[in-house]
Amino acid sequence: MTEQRMYPGTGADERTTFAPYSAFEIPADLRELHGRYDVESMARRVRNFRYAEEWTMMILGGWIATIPELPVKTGLGKIVWDAATAADVLGKRLPELRCGRKSVAASESANDGFAAFVQSVAEPETPDLTIEKLAGMFDVLKPHLIEVYERTARETDYISDAPTIELLEDIVRKARRHQAWAGEVLDRLCDTDAKQQRRRARAAEMTSQLEACGGVAGDLGVANA
Amino acid sequence: MKRFIHHSELARDQRFVRQDNAASTVLATLPDDVDTVVNVFDQFSDMIESSVQGTAAEPLFEEYGPAFGLVTLNEPLTPGAPAERQRLAMRLHAIFVGEMQALEGASRSLWDFPDSPWEFKMNMARQAWDEARHVQIFEKLMDHVGCKAGDYPESTFLFECACSEDPALRVAGVNRGLEGLACDVFRDLIRFAEQSGDELLKQAMDYVLADELTHVRFGSEWVKEFTRGDPERFKRAQDFRREVDKQFSLGGARSDREDAAVPIAMQDRREAGFTEEELSELLELSGEGPSRKTLMAATKIIRERHLARREEKRREEKRQQGQEATA
Repeated sequence: MTEQRMYPGTGADERTTFAPYSAFEIPADLRELHGRYDVESMARRVRNFRYAEEWTMMILGGWIATIPELPVKTGLGKIVWDAATAADVLGKRLPELRCGRKSVAASESANDGFAAFVQSVAEPETPDLTIEKLAGMFDVLKPHLIEVYERTARETDYISDAPTIELLEDIVRKARRHQAWAGEVLDRLCDTDAKQQRRRARAAEMTSQLEACGGVAGDLGVANA
Repeated sequence: MKRFIHHSELARDQRFVRQDNAASTVLATLPDDVDTVVNVFDQFSDMIESSVQGTAAEPLFEEYGPAFGLVTLNEPLTPGAPAERQRLAMRLHAIFVGEMQALEGASRSLWDFPDSPWEFKMNMARQAWDEARHVQIFEKLMDHVGCKAGDYPESTFLFECACSEDPALRVAGVNRGLEGLACDVFRDLIRFAEQSGDELLKQAMDYVLADELTHVRFGSEWVKEFTRGDPERFKRAQDFRREVDKQFSLGGARSDREDAAVPIAMQDRREAGFTEEELSELLELSGEGPSRKTLMAATKIIRERHLARREEKRREEKRQQGQEATA
């Protein structure tokens, strides 16, 4: 009986006796090594996403003192923290995408139009504008971010870029919760036709600005084409 | 949205009644002299009366006059003391609005200082969530003692004092001044909860105090960071913190004096990063206000004058009714 080889030798016939086995064979790994984004373009997208999350955190932080509805103040306090942690994990991904160790706090707007859109979202200031504040943020910006994050996670390489997918999935999970909360708040605040009209008007105005600039990654029209 | 807002712009729903901050500011700088204390309260009597109208503090004003706060807030809170529940409710309400202003102060730092370091923003965002939870906790605790938001007037004194336009001074004011005061108040409430056997209050305060220590630590670290290599700015931040500490000592109500309503939580403050030198300064400046003996003597005179004015008013109304009946 030949002695069982534990380690391969240097000759062609000097293989080990272990049968080949891969955990990925059962069930079969159907994923393909193909994604829409290379490292550089994904890094740019992550900087764009981080820009949106950082500004979301700052805008909501600024609004808290100007919103009279107490449950909205406290509810936004939690979302401020969630936006901060989203920006933080996105930033921590950047050095992993060859952006350098100092890139963790790098945010970048896709274009001047999206930067202007973010400033428009931040515009409502006085205490009588809670509807306009929340409609711009939660009827337009947040659903857009959710849609783009989900599309990005679908389109990137499932294996090579799995860390980005994981963090986007976590961000989306919380963002959906924020959207549901804000939707309920807005439904209650908009208890007359006039207030519902204010909500619709604000959302329409912001949506048109968002579409014109191409969204958070600047490719809204391209993606939808 | 503009950067930096005035304390009068803090948005509230219609339940809340705003109290002019002038009375709190003056109270914080009162000397240990009965006549001065009496004159100051006489001067602010109308303002205080209008701010308590329609609130749960109105009957206290009627009974004690404009210095009712000295009787209710500046006295140590002990189980079984007269009006214990009402004084506890007033204290919880005062903390509730303080937490709301801390939420607003921390979250405004995110908007007011857009170019600050990322770690600073993370700390302020975390504090915003913590303070939001504290507001929710104190809403529940107020309900626990039979009181609700808006039952007492709100002074925006804390936000006014602490929210500077320089981030180094802002964290010195909000995170070390305001949150330091919170440590003292919460440690005192834990003592009260232990003495009264209120487990719900005790556990809530235990967690809130843990958060506050974290916020003071944020302040201790960021004052150092923002003023690194700039001794002049560091001095301004320390002077600002001293000024805020002096105002937040509320005329000695928060101090290390034997008669203090809220003792300084020395051990908690050490854990949060206050140096021995800073603590010595705090002990010194917080004890400078009027003594309890002075305040009690002043309260007695203020109450007598208030009751006399009320009696005079009643007589005047009766005389007018009599004249109208004769006519």
